[in-house]
Amino acid sequence: MMAFLYGVLPYIALTILVGGTIIRYTYFERNWTTKSSEFLSKGDSKWGNPLFHLGLVMAFGGHFVGVLVPKFVTEMGGTDEHTYHLMSLAGGIPAGILFLGGFLLILKRRFAGSARLKVNTSRLDCWLYLVLLVTLVSGMLATLSNIPGTFDYRETISPWFRSVLLLQPEVSLMARVPVLFQLHMICWMLLAILFPFTRLVHCLSFPLEYFFRRDIIYRRK
Amino acid sequence: MKIKAQISMVMNLDKCIGCHTCSIACKNVWTNRQGAEYMYFNNVETKPGIGYPKHWEDQQKWKGGWELKHGKLQLRSGSKPERLLKLFYHPDQPEMEDYYEPWTYDYESLISSKRKKHQPVARPRSLITQKRMEIKWGPNWEDDLADGESVRQDINLKNMADEITMEFHDLFMKYLPRVCNHCLNPACVAACPSGAIYKREEDGVVLVSQDGCRGWRHCIPACPYKKVYFNWKTNKAEKCIFCFPRLENGLPTICTDTCVGRLRYMGVVLYDMDKVKEAASEPEAGNIYHRVLDILQDPNDPAVIEAARQQGIPENWLKAAQNSPVYKMIKEWKIALPLHAEYRTLPMVWYVPPLSPITRRMEADVYLPEVQEMRIPLAYLAELFGAGNAEVVAKSLQKLLNMRQVMRCRETGEELPPHLAKDAALYQEMYRLLAIAKYKDRFNIPAGLSEQSQDKLHQLQGTCGYNCPGGC
Repeated sequence: MMAFLYGVLPYIALTILVGGTIIRYTYFERNWTTKSSEFLSKGDSKWGNPLFHLGLVMAFGGHFVGVLVPKFVTEMGGTDEHTYHLMSLAGGIPAGILFLGGFLLILKRRFAGSARLKVNTSRLDCWLYLVLLVTLVSGMLATLSNIPGTFDYRETISPWFRSVLLLQPEVSLMARVPVLFQLHMICWMLLAILFPFTRLVHCLSFPLEYFFRRDIIYRRK
Repeated sequence: MKIKAQISMVMNLDKCIGCHTCSIACKNVWTNRQGAEYMYFNNVETKPGIGYPKHWEDQQKWKGGWELKHGKLQLRSGSKPERLLKLFYHPDQPEMEDYYEPWTYDYESLISSKRKKHQPVARPRSLITQKRMEIKWGPNWEDDLADGESVRQDINLKNMADEITMEFHDLFMKYLPRVCNHCLNPACVAACPSGAIYKREEDGVVLVSQDGCRGWRHCIPACPYKKVYFNWKTNKAEKCIFCFPRLENGLPTICTDTCVGRLRYMGVVLYDMDKVKEAASEPEAGNIYHRVLDILQDPNDPAVIEAARQQGIPENWLKAAQNSPVYKMIKEWKIALPLHAEYRTLPMVWYVPPLSPITRRMEADVYLPEVQEMRIPLAYLAELFGAGNAEVVAKSLQKLLNMRQVMRCRETGEELPPHLAKDAALYQEMYRLLAIAKYKDRFNIPAGLSEQSQDKLHQLQGTCGYNCPGGC
């Protein structure tokens, strides 16, 4: 079971994530969109949506450092485990509150708000919101449950994730990971599977090139 | 000098009867589908009125178009970083309420209803929620001043210096058919974060690439005319495409073709692309019109023709530009004016302002009314078509009156006043184009197949369609 969850499933998920996204971009770009619902119901998206995205950016930054940067690198930089843990809590908890709080506002709007939002919510969207909710809650609870710092994910989860990326999965690293963290792992893999099929793809379209282009675009037909 | 060709349109509002044939034709051809029910690429508004979507002309509210900030041209919705912060919630984006919620009627109940004491009725049902709804606003709620309250809220009335009475005997109204203006300096194009909106090099038509659009929605508030719409089904932006498949075949747009009053004209104008930004940056709003006239180039000037050829503009396009009905009305006769030039997008759909009946207090002993004596206040028309500059509107109206007087004298055999006699031929030509012009005179659109693409088609001969031009 562990071999499947941490040795096989990540590859299934990442393959679908990368392959599916490429296929969607190449053949189905026409439906590549943010799927914005502001047009249908505007006032109630004023706070939830920006908060959610702000929390997301902060949480993404934290995960990037915590997962991809090996422990010895931060320690070489003079940050011992205790300091690192305090710093990650100081950044992670506010990020989590914004992220989860924003998401709850979004959920309330979508499922208990304007009746018009139904046309913007497909069945797949419902699954997406469920998985996203479990991901956020499990991540938040895992962080809170680990405030004392008894579990060091940078000795287990992070090296495992990097080993997955290096195509040498070390499943044994995940053996004694607490349940909440394990749930969080399953969740991201599910999210990766859902990614190419849902509105999540719009995060790849952040319009950075906008800063560098001229105002008026001319194109030949 | 960098010459570009632009397909342009003129509407002679003097002849618009507000029949909505253009809107219906357009609706049936382009927006008769889910997600687009509420869109009118072409709509006709009764002015004064708040319009569709509500208060679209109020740029304090929507922040549409461009403004001069410290002398520099900038989108009114802010700088690029400011606008990217609005990706997640755009405070200036109109929502469905600002247009209207589309509906249908339960027609089935008329047939399936059991025998009852009262006749069955078809009650309205929302096309969005599929639930019963009460209709409180529609795409043309103010038709013929039907909604008295909203009429008074017209921002142009507020911007006029003098008070307008809505007393019955002084009431005035006019119709304003609106399509996308396919501007020379389009704010929607500049606002699109994804770069999905573009102006076609060949004919200046502004289009949204449905592949490139990511649904960031910045074009919608940026367009001061509110002519870009959000499709709630595809979640992408859509707009009037100037019926480009028809243009490419040398036909006018469907709204133009079906116009009952034959008040629309279409043709080619040539403009100097290098001077567009300069014209849009003119400090005095009332002068933008003159600056636009300056960048429209004379198609008979050899230097312009040479420059146009260098830009690869085909010969049939040059010929069309030389026989362009719209160029005549815009630049030679100066009777067509841009709508709200103060938005600084340099619209390429132009309007001949309407004459109107004489006011009651001027009624006695009038032969032909003076411009100042007409029911639609000059100041009101100046807000719409002169960016506040009443002089240009008065000149245009005076030309229309002169034309009438010349033609009247011809009918009655009276002698022409000397100031008109010298231009009699010009006014007769104007009369022919404005009153009795045939289809081919009103529209001169070169078919899109240029010589180059003709050559490509020749190369294709005998390939049974298995190759495509250029070989792929």
